[in-house]
Amino acid sequence: MKKIAAWFESRFGLAPISAFMIKKEIPQTKHTLWYYTGSSILLFFAIQVVTGIILAFYYQPTLEGANDSVARIMTEIPLGWIIRSVHSLSSTCMIAVVMIHMAAILFTKAYRAPREATWMSGVFLLVGSMMFGFTGYLLPWDDLSLAATKVGTNIPRAIPVVGDWVTKFLRGGDDITGDTLSRFFIFHVCVLPLFILAILVIHIFLIQRHGVSIPLHDEVKGRKPKSLPFWPNFVWREAAVWMVLLGALITVAVLLPLKLDPSADTMAPAPEGVKPEWYFLFLFQTLKIFPANMLFVTGETVAVVLIIIAVALIFFLPFIDNKPAEKKGKVISALAFLGLIYAIAMSVWSLL
Amino acid sequence: MKIKNSIYSRRKFLNGLLGGGLGSLAVILISPIIKFVFPPYKEPDQVNLPLADYKDMAPGAIKNFAWGLKPGFIKAKSDGTMTAYVGVCTHLDCNVAWQPDKKKFFCACHDGWYDENGKNIAGPPPKPLRELQVAVEGEELIVSRPGAV
Repeated sequence: MKKIAAWFESRFGLAPISAFMIKKEIPQTKHTLWYYTGSSILLFFAIQVVTGIILAFYYQPTLEGANDSVARIMTEIPLGWIIRSVHSLSSTCMIAVVMIHMAAILFTKAYRAPREATWMSGVFLLVGSMMFGFTGYLLPWDDLSLAATKVGTNIPRAIPVVGDWVTKFLRGGDDITGDTLSRFFIFHVCVLPLFILAILVIHIFLIQRHGVSIPLHDEVKGRKPKSLPFWPNFVWREAAVWMVLLGALITVAVLLPLKLDPSADTMAPAPEGVKPEWYFLFLFQTLKIFPANMLFVTGETVAVVLIIIAVALIFFLPFIDNKPAEKKGKVISALAFLGLIYAIAMSVWSLL
Repeated sequence: MKIKNSIYSRRKFLNGLLGGGLGSLAVILISPIIKFVFPPYKEPDQVNLPLADYKDMAPGAIKNFAWGLKPGFIKAKSDGTMTAYVGVCTHLDCNVAWQPDKKKFFCACHDGWYDENGKNIAGPPPKPLRELQVAVEGEELIVSRPGAV
């Protein structure tokens, strides 16, 4: 056994990395709870990868086959209904924890120097995760997913100059067709996984490089909080969290399995009560309340430009919030809090 | 190595040549990829429908037809002629539904309403429904884009 280990070490030379992982310490403060969100996201992501790969063994990304093949997964394939429900539920949980993860970093201002690039790679991961949700929503090919995709792919059209091209690129033409379905499938199972994995490697590398952040007030006062060894103490605790999440996930998936509506008809009127996934609801409601025309442009263009500005602000937040411990930092926290309230209020409103 | 009176070292020149060459090759390859990615679908110039299916419509009545890949509506006007609309909401592209009892077109995605003449009257739609030309030729009803045929 020792010989084999020595052989690997002489070929791969990974001992410094494992030594680093074992020696790594996790600060123990009142914010330690939030440190668990990162590994919970990884858990859900791993579930997505495994369930996604096996779902793709049966799924057929064609107009004729899509809905039928999902129906077959739900009715004929052993445990297929659980696998699909887990995949859907785990995606929702992943996005939810991503949001909590980001909110925690936002309000503890853990993105402050030197962790700006970690935050920015995280914003890419958020956008990638939402794109995963958006492309996956179409794949069962029912009326709701068709209408949601029509709206979602039409929104970029309001972007000045390049909008039309973006919409055509996403749809593979002017309308939602079988080409759109192939495109979304390949985005969902090939393009986005490659993108997310690449960014994830950078994100996790940066976290190792800079270590986990300590609370701002400790840093300002130059205090070093108590800490816990990463291995095995912290990983043991994380594993306990994973077990709870995994158990809850499978339980809910079994008790509330996903349903499947009949195959979509591209000629049928949009069904009533069209709603996107919950994490797009605030955007959905924002688009709904914007008036048709504002001054010289459509309300949609104004809304889309505002959304792009908001994403840019979030992306560059570490540079905007460059004095986190001072008054400016407090004002930015208050504004971020208002933004959060806005998103929650809009989401609740859209459900009324 | 830098030759006397030269602004570049040999290494710098070769780096630029190789890097610039590979870079421009990549840029050149973008164009065919983009061409491939956008398929050549075009909206139809016209759609021919059997007149028999539509000639007995009462004034104000609405019937569906397929405008290429999009739904369309044929409407019998009170003066006996016909017109047609593309049944796609001008807000965010959802298919609209004709509601005969209210005499309105309704888009369920964001609660958009159009009156029986396709005019946007409530909700977010910024423009009226797109109107198409309708002509009768022999036993056929010819629906066409204004200016296309």
